[in-house]
Amino acid sequence: MSPMTKDATVYWKSLEELRAERHDSSSRRDEFVEPLPWKRTTGARAFQASTPPADPAVDGASRRDFLALMGFSLGAAACSRGTTQHALPFVTAPEDLTPGVPNWYATTCGGCSASCSVLVKTRDGRPIKIEGNREAPLFGGGTCAVGQATVLSLYDGQRLRQPLWRGAPASWQEVDEKIESQLRTTGAAQGRITLLSATITSPSTRDIIARWSRRYAGFRHVVYEPVSYAAIRRAHQTLFKRAVLPHYRFDNAALIVGLEADFLGAWLSPVEFTAQYARRRRPGRSMAHHVQFESTLSLTGANADVRHAVSPSAIGHLAMALLDRVSSADREPFAADMSLALAASELDALADRLLRHRGESLVVCGVQDVEVQTVVTRLNHVLGNIGHTLELSPCSFQKQGDDEEVATLVEQMQRGDIQALILYGVNPAYDYPNQQAFLRGLERVALSVSFADRVDETASHVHAVCPDHHYLEAWGDAEPVTGSFSLIQPTIAPLFETRAAQDSLLKWLGEAQDFHAYLRSYWQRNVFPLQTGRRNFEEFWDGVLQAGFLNAPVPVAATAALSGPVVATARRARDGQPRELRVGTADRFELHAYETVALRDGRHANNPWLQELPDPIAKVTWGRGLAIAPAVADRLDLQDGDVVTVTGGGVRVELPIWRQPGQPSTTVSIALGYGRTGAGPVGNGVGTNAWRFLGHGADGLLGLHPTVVALEKTGRFAPLAATQTHHSMEGRPLVREATLEEFLTDPGAGREAPEALPSLWAEHEPGSHTWGLTIDLSSCTGCSACVVACQAENNVPVVGKEEVARGREMHWIRVDRYYQGPASSPDVVFQPVMCQHCANAPCETVCPVLATVHSSDGINEQIYNRCVGTRYCENNCPYKVRRFNWFTYANNPRFDFNMNSPLGTMVLNPDVVVRSRGVMEKCSLCIQRIQAGKVAARQSGDSIADGQIQTACQQACPAKAIVFGDMQDPGSQAARFRQSPRHYHLLADLGTRPGVGYLTKIRNREARTR
Amino acid sequence: MPGTARRTLTPAVECARPVPLRPAWLEGSLALRQISDDIALPLSARPGAGWFVCIAVSLTALAVGVACVTYQIATGIGTWGLNKSVGWAFDITNFVFWIGIGHAGTLISAILLLFRQHWRMSINRSAEAMTIFAVLCAALFPLIHMGRPWLAFWMMPYPNSRGPLWVNFRSPLVWDVFAINTYLIVSLVFWYFGMLPDFATLRDRAGAGGKKRIYGLLSLGWDGSQRTWSRYETACLLLAGLATPLVISVHSIVSMDFATSILPGWHATIFPPYFVAGAVYSGFGMVMLLLIITRRVMHLQRYITLAHLDRMAKITLLTGSLVAFSYASEWFMAWYGGNADERFVFVNRATGRYAWAFWTMVACNVVIPQCLWLRRVRTSPAALLPIAILINVGMWFERFVIIVTSLHRSYLPSSWVMYYPTSIEIGTLVGSFGLFFTCFLLFIRLLPMIATWEIKGLAAAQARGRS
Repeated sequence: MSPMTKDATVYWKSLEELRAERHDSSSRRDEFVEPLPWKRTTGARAFQASTPPADPAVDGASRRDFLALMGFSLGAAACSRGTTQHALPFVTAPEDLTPGVPNWYATTCGGCSASCSVLVKTRDGRPIKIEGNREAPLFGGGTCAVGQATVLSLYDGQRLRQPLWRGAPASWQEVDEKIESQLRTTGAAQGRITLLSATITSPSTRDIIARWSRRYAGFRHVVYEPVSYAAIRRAHQTLFKRAVLPHYRFDNAALIVGLEADFLGAWLSPVEFTAQYARRRRPGRSMAHHVQFESTLSLTGANADVRHAVSPSAIGHLAMALLDRVSSADREPFAADMSLALAASELDALADRLLRHRGESLVVCGVQDVEVQTVVTRLNHVLGNIGHTLELSPCSFQKQGDDEEVATLVEQMQRGDIQALILYGVNPAYDYPNQQAFLRGLERVALSVSFADRVDETASHVHAVCPDHHYLEAWGDAEPVTGSFSLIQPTIAPLFETRAAQDSLLKWLGEAQDFHAYLRSYWQRNVFPLQTGRRNFEEFWDGVLQAGFLNAPVPVAATAALSGPVVATARRARDGQPRELRVGTADRFELHAYETVALRDGRHANNPWLQELPDPIAKVTWGRGLAIAPAVADRLDLQDGDVVTVTGGGVRVELPIWRQPGQPSTTVSIALGYGRTGAGPVGNGVGTNAWRFLGHGADGLLGLHPTVVALEKTGRFAPLAATQTHHSMEGRPLVREATLEEFLTDPGAGREAPEALPSLWAEHEPGSHTWGLTIDLSSCTGCSACVVACQAENNVPVVGKEEVARGREMHWIRVDRYYQGPASSPDVVFQPVMCQHCANAPCETVCPVLATVHSSDGINEQIYNRCVGTRYCENNCPYKVRRFNWFTYANNPRFDFNMNSPLGTMVLNPDVVVRSRGVMEKCSLCIQRIQAGKVAARQSGDSIADGQIQTACQQACPAKAIVFGDMQDPGSQAARFRQSPRHYHLLADLGTRPGVGYLTKIRNREARTR
Repeated sequence: MPGTARRTLTPAVECARPVPLRPAWLEGSLALRQISDDIALPLSARPGAGWFVCIAVSLTALAVGVACVTYQIATGIGTWGLNKSVGWAFDITNFVFWIGIGHAGTLISAILLLFRQHWRMSINRSAEAMTIFAVLCAALFPLIHMGRPWLAFWMMPYPNSRGPLWVNFRSPLVWDVFAINTYLIVSLVFWYFGMLPDFATLRDRAGAGGKKRIYGLLSLGWDGSQRTWSRYETACLLLAGLATPLVISVHSIVSMDFATSILPGWHATIFPPYFVAGAVYSGFGMVMLLLIITRRVMHLQRYITLAHLDRMAKITLLTGSLVAFSYASEWFMAWYGGNADERFVFVNRATGRYAWAFWTMVACNVVIPQCLWLRRVRTSPAALLPIAILINVGMWFERFVIIVTSLHRSYLPSSWVMYYPTSIEIGTLVGSFGLFFTCFLLFIRLLPMIATWEIKGLAAAQARGRS
């Protein structure tokens, strides 16, 4: 650029230029306002001209400098490994969306029909984490493993992108036209239209369905639940003339008797029940006593103080025996031919105890048999529990299946009497016991429509698939228990061309309103008047959306009056009981089927987080084995993984066995929810379909009616992938426990007093905080919600069955489960273990590259970028909490789970790095949450309050067993727990000085563990 | 120092030939020229069919190893059988195995030199070569066992602009880096230095052309003068002094990979001497194995005599007894100490899922070498060969047992798992043997495998009087 002469005509391009030119003529000449960083190399002077440079910024550069810079940039370009990524800013930024700052929405979980209130964390417009809504009084702020995993099912690649007509993609307009015309025809001909749905807790949806009833004379709504609770409702109908499912209050019960009801695991509303149960089970004088009678060892049975393993057919007899002893003075001798390992005296003692706790005891039963449920309901009534530990008003709407209607429907379908069938949230072609009958009937239905989100077993046979939204994309409401309302609001715009089922139903009715408007108007008419807090509906609506829930007062019903004489009905019930089956000999057993904590009824089979979640009891992933008592397995010479054929009632399946301590020797147990063929690539072919063993009983109810099965060895071997293969503590003091009596005498019972061990290491300088965790083993039920929560929060990869079998699962937190005592009736303890963040960490001293160091906050940090993967830290960790990335898990077709597609990776938490191959990882105490909390505190100027920062595992726990806090703050709950006499450290005598502590487990029983 | 003249006692009466005080380390009287010819013969002659067969096998093994390692580095450590509890198995077993084997060479070259054991002269060159190759094989394993081996240079404390960020000097793995590198460098220098006069001999014998030039370069202008020899021998002594502590220190440091950890079964102070004894033990096993075969194939029986084998077998027996004593000491301390976790480890070793490996180790390391008490066995190559092989097998299993049994069942029973090797790991082990034997086979064809200049000194001394 030649210097400007003063008198040359200057053309300017812009006003700035003109202005600048007037002010500073020299800068105008430079193309770059800042001088380029030419460095004066020593050689440059030698090559420079003798005259000093006119403009040092430009002319000071020499050829050598130029070459140096060119060489550098060439080298830099060659070394550059970054791929081009496009970051597009919003043209119109959404309100309240700050990149990097999460937005929270309150909604209701749709993982099952329990309808827990949850908060959804969204980042950049997409939901990435589910958390319980602490303020919702019903559920206590926790979630279950299924709820935590539903965020991933939003990003399931198997979801339909658009509606289908006869299997081919179609537009909504086409499908609507076809369906509406068919419905019109059917309506005109007074044909039968049936909506077959799962439990609908949404009052607004029920309202829409009511409209359908009013519109079409032949319309019927049938509720189908594959695991049905209809017996309980029938029992209440018989006794109280009200077919209700009671609302159970475990927190009001000082004595809980469970009869084949896994209420902490998968029965009815586990999150709510766990929260109630944990509240009542705090060690102390008012600690509840829990007795469980069940067949297979369930999560609930593992937590019971006293557990009896009995065959399923004996449950009814037990209930009857208890009712006898409680309701009348004469105690009939417990029938001698009952091959129960239960002395009559024990039953007497239990009955006495029940009587002592009148009005504060609770007997729950999960058997699908009207007679048994009638006996149990009567038992509760006699004990005065109704209205205290179980309420009929408010009642529960969480299960509404009507089995007889389902049977009638299937018959009608087969006869060709059903003209139109709408399937909403059900999959009978998979889980209906007589799926062949259903499919035959389906063929004869003129119009079949499914709202399924994928082409599942049923949707592959229907005419139209109109995929429903995922609950995270949808509007809605829920009323799980009378008076406890909650809203469902979308947290992301629908990803695909799906449409809310309610919108479809409204459209086909010819309504103009969409469901959102309908929902608002329904609430305005029906819910808004129930409360008096807000006068303005808009305020009210926004308030409920923000809070997530609304508790409306419920009219308390008068004490339920029992109809019919007590004793006669009871006697009749007992006489109606089938005789105990002659089983347990040779290869004939009673069959028991159960829902697993991870997969429940199988609707989430395509969710890799749930498939890889180790079963809390068996610690098996990706499938379940047939649970057999170890003694029986020994007798039949069966090892874990030996494949057997189970034949009974005309059904024959094959699956590997699993030796299950605590399993009664008369019974084998099979898991429901497996053996799917239409779930997707993750879930198809995992496990065996056990639904066909169920059936309609004599009372018309769906359930597992006493079935005798025969086992046959096949000689084949199909190993199960278990994360824990050794189940004994080997006498090591890992879980410390004491009985309640011992605890009341000496709160420090069960553990050794902590002694300060000498240490060669220098003390760490404490920083402004010292973060730590305390885990209350008395509260922890082993439900493993924390495992999935941690996986969601920290982008922990899924590795698949083969890798789990090799011992390479990646979960940062695991729940160890140990058995004590005889294999036929063991005591069970659970212990969540994550990185203990030791002050004298054995891993820190051995890492050669200092990839693991101790922070001043007391956290053992793993620095992924620095790790070279020698794995010495993994070897030296006595707790074995470190996880190594054996392969590249992300963007690797070999691990085609949630990290191999753009859709699946939307669930990843952007605050947490996705680790590369060859790098070690482990629990970080959710350091990203700690940092976020510290940043927020710094910005607001306040100090960090106790409970403001919660780790993912703490937040998810429905029992509030995990407590995170600052040990330097004496008022924090974690610090107080550390001072508790129940507090101990795991492997304390190694001198690792962990930052994680445990509180002893207290059992409410007289004798010490056997 | 080579060959100091000794006087024999003049017999008072005529009787049978005087019994020498020491065995003859060279059989027969050999002219110096003859020695040069014998030792240089393999270097110029065409190798026999046997050599070709051997190198074909070892190259195949090497190729298998290269393929396995390439696959493993490209795909991940997951191609091995390691898991959440067992972080090391074949990789570190092989590492310790090969490093241990190297120790015999250094002991023969350096320590026996300082102890003036002249019988070492025939064997020290090949033993030292064996050390180099063994350390090379060993050094590969820490490199490839890393999850991100392309960042292996981070284990070195080099100045950098990231802080600067140093390595963790408290970590035994960093000590390993120093120890192995020191060992490799000192051994290389010592080995090369020891070959200088022999390179000069070969240079002088070679006709004009490439070989003369190469040997000339390698001999660094050796002129054979008195002054050169004098300085040379001093330098050898100094290098030997430098190399001697390495025999103790290197394997002590390697043992601290285990001893400084917290695991029961690893956390024991006996590890340094136990490992050093074991290293010398396995090293002598490998030396005997190599020399028994080589002396036969290369017709060097007059240089590597049965007396040499006898001496080596005695050292083997000594170190084997030390190893057996270490085992006994470990077991005793586990019982006497009363620590439940420690006791369990040893009971588990003998009766648990890997008991077969444990008893193989005991049979090969403790029981079978007891045969070496018999002189007949010690002087019979046919008997020593299988014993040497079994010693190596036993010592490999010893490291396997130590590593895997302590890892697979440690403190928390919930993390107890089984470890099963994969074909990739086995292929890598085979490849390391391929590398070792390829190097050794090349060595015996390209470099003088016996220290010619030392042997000549020995022969001269023997000729002058009984040495």
